[in-house]
Amino acid sequence: MADNFFEIDNVSFTAGGKNKVNNVTLNIENEGEIVCLLGPSGIGKTTILRTIAGLEKINKGKINLKGRTISSENIHIEPENRNIALSFQENSLFPHYNIEKNINLGSDRVKDDKKIQTKEVINFLNLNKILNKFPHEISAGEAQRASLARSLVSQPDLLMLDEPLSNVDQSFKEEIQVELKQILTNSKITTIIVTHDSYEAFYLGSKCGIILDGELKQYDDPYNVYHLPNSVEVVNFLNRGTLIPAEVTSPKSLENEDLGTITGNFARPFPIGSKVKLLIQPEDLQHDDASNLKLEVVDRKFRGSNFIYTLKTLSNKLIPVFVHSHHIHQHEVDEKFGIKRPIHIDHIVCF
Amino acid sequence: MKFNSWYLSSFLVSFVVAIPILTVFASFFQETTNYFDILKNTFLIEYIYNSLILLLGVLVLTLFLGVGSAYVVSFYDFPGVKFFKWALILSFAVPAYIYAYSLTAFFENFGTLYSILKSLFGPGEYNQSIPKFDGMFGAILSISFSLFGYVYVLTRASFHYQSQNLIELGQNLGFSKYKSFFKIILPSARPAIVAGLALVAMETLSDFGAVSFFGIATLTTGIYDSWISFDDLAFANQLSFFLLLFILGLFFIENISRKKAQYHSPVKGGIKEKKKIKLNFSKGSLAFGFCFLVFLVSFLFPVLQMLYWTIIFPKNLFDLNTFQLFINTIYLVFLSSVVLVIFSFISNYGNRVTKSKFLNYLTTFSITGYAIPGVILAVAFITFIAWFDNTFIKAFEFNSIKRVFIGSIFGLVIVYFIRFYSLAYNGLKTGYERINRSIDESSYLLGYSKIKTFLGIHVPYLKNSVFLIGILITIEVIKELPITLILRPFNFETFATTAYIFASQDLLEAAAVPSLFLILIASTFILITSKFILKD
Repeated sequence: MADNFFEIDNVSFTAGGKNKVNNVTLNIENEGEIVCLLGPSGIGKTTILRTIAGLEKINKGKINLKGRTISSENIHIEPENRNIALSFQENSLFPHYNIEKNINLGSDRVKDDKKIQTKEVINFLNLNKILNKFPHEISAGEAQRASLARSLVSQPDLLMLDEPLSNVDQSFKEEIQVELKQILTNSKITTIIVTHDSYEAFYLGSKCGIILDGELKQYDDPYNVYHLPNSVEVVNFLNRGTLIPAEVTSPKSLENEDLGTITGNFARPFPIGSKVKLLIQPEDLQHDDASNLKLEVVDRKFRGSNFIYTLKTLSNKLIPVFVHSHHIHQHEVDEKFGIKRPIHIDHIVCF
Repeated sequence: MKFNSWYLSSFLVSFVVAIPILTVFASFFQETTNYFDILKNTFLIEYIYNSLILLLGVLVLTLFLGVGSAYVVSFYDFPGVKFFKWALILSFAVPAYIYAYSLTAFFENFGTLYSILKSLFGPGEYNQSIPKFDGMFGAILSISFSLFGYVYVLTRASFHYQSQNLIELGQNLGFSKYKSFFKIILPSARPAIVAGLALVAMETLSDFGAVSFFGIATLTTGIYDSWISFDDLAFANQLSFFLLLFILGLFFIENISRKKAQYHSPVKGGIKEKKKIKLNFSKGSLAFGFCFLVFLVSFLFPVLQMLYWTIIFPKNLFDLNTFQLFINTIYLVFLSSVVLVIFSFISNYGNRVTKSKFLNYLTTFSITGYAIPGVILAVAFITFIAWFDNTFIKAFEFNSIKRVFIGSIFGLVIVYFIRFYSLAYNGLKTGYERINRSIDESSYLLGYSKIKTFLGIHVPYLKNSVFLIGILITIEVIKELPITLILRPFNFETFATTAYIFASQDLLEAAAVPSLFLILIASTFILITSKFILKD
């Protein structure tokens, strides 16, 4: 543990005297890694960032950065002495300075050769046109980008971004995500990003932490968080699947009364005969018009590149199924929808 | 609770400001006091009765003048409306005691009105038919015309922020203008009106100059007389206790109303410009006439009266060392402003960074100082210094500190500081409330220490607030009378004290020159700040 670039060791995070997130242990092994924290609003994600930045204190556990303890029960390094940058969700630009001055304030304390050029950041965040404007003269999205620029050019040991793109237009968002990832990776700035957008987290983060019910429920790489969620709460939070009852029939199969036999590899082993809840994600089942396993369509969501059909089983369970939107025909609500058999799921996730 | 230099500094500032209040409250527990005897055997009943009559009269008149003028300039369009919008606040430049001198000078036997009538119609027995505005009635008029500006400014701001939609809603519901005014406009401005009236009430109960000129025995003059005439500091403090209770009650009413008044402010996107009703000639003339009359009586009348005397008795102008009075006044203004701004900054920032509830309560308690009449503050300050000197300084056989604090510029500035601390503190606090806390935090995270954040971020950002506060303090210090009168060094005079001394010697013509200078200087500063004052 001592070799990690950044460590949170069994810390309970509090805000306003109330415990928000308890007993968190989280490591970032290497400099330059990007970690995303996901969770619903008000759960304490921002409190975690504020505490790491030194704006809140801890009374349990410790936080280390580059081998130095910056927070513990007895140690509290002041925020200005941590070299940690935090880009707030709300507008935190200095109102009496124009945008250019605001951004340059970020680079004031950078003494080494700049790994990130201010001009480069201004360009990719498309801030050229507003450099001479004052914070009250720009939109919320522009303020957020300017704040992000200020944090980036300060070249901190640890950069933390609180919902950095929440106010940015959708059309512009993906472009910024790509460039942000590129600039962070190239400059090797270790970053923690808080977001409620799972796709943003999965794209930007090399690891994702899911915070639910006052705990860090899962901390893993994005693929595992999505395909191998470790708890029902994480499944419900990601809201990408449904849990149906099943019985384990062999080390590589289980049986559901509506779908029949399902084969695959168990993420965690269960004894044969166990009654479990099986996670069905939209990608797990495949459509087949010729199949004799037909379920009723109760809803259809068009998502551009795909449709998500919601099907009702005989036992009234609702199951999501992903179908490419170029599929030759569409199924209307109340129609029957064929499911390809035999059903095989690469990762069988049960609880 | 976090103890650091910011905490300690803020604590000390608030504690010093709270000393007079604590001193007055402590006087209640002095053993020598028998409140029942005081009630029975002294003028207390008369003081209370006069204070209440004065208060009632002033409240009724300022309500009418303030709300009436605010309504007319806010909702109607007529010739001169833009002029009256700011001209009506000039009444702030005329202290009630100078208004009282003008009123007496104009209507007294063989006064200005008599001279006018004589020059117009020749010699005659005009004195009998000229009404006399003296005594209680004169005091009510003087204080009302001097203070109605509080009600005007706050009510106008409330009308200004009233949603146009609200008024249009009334029209959609078929309300007449009369019904709209009483059912919609007035009720929604009620918190602002109450806040304005509470300020008027506090100032009325604090008034010393006008009531003492008209010889009315109120609680405030009683305190002054107990101390100056009867040399009874303990009784002065006990009277202060009664007055303080009264005023603190008003303070809380004002505080609660002001909080409610904020609900009129729009949350986002500014306010929809109110459509003013264009008045026809006859109604427009009526509106113009009303506003002009208020402006004439409240501002032009005292200015012209003082100007008239200055012109017909030019000797007074040349005899008076106006340059020295100006220097003395500006010297006090400068010292007070600097001290107030610096310490208010420290206290505000200390409260902000320490986030201590105790400190917040102490500050809230200490800023009630603005509700306390200058006379009480001065007497309480002297009481405290005397107690401190007797208890600690003499006990250790040091030299007495009384001379350092009493009858010195130093002591005077300290009591000004206590009196006007809330003005400076709240002014800066309003500015600070516009600075999101995440801005401070961003600054720390960019490597700025607390002191650098304070000097590099807050001070430059709040420079407009500081400018405004400086000017408001200037206006108050120029007009201030009782504290200066009681605590000034020997032979150190300001325009206010000079005017008072002449007037108290029945030399009203001589009081005209310092009064005129005082009004002109205060008016200049009011005009500079009119944009801010009329904003909210």
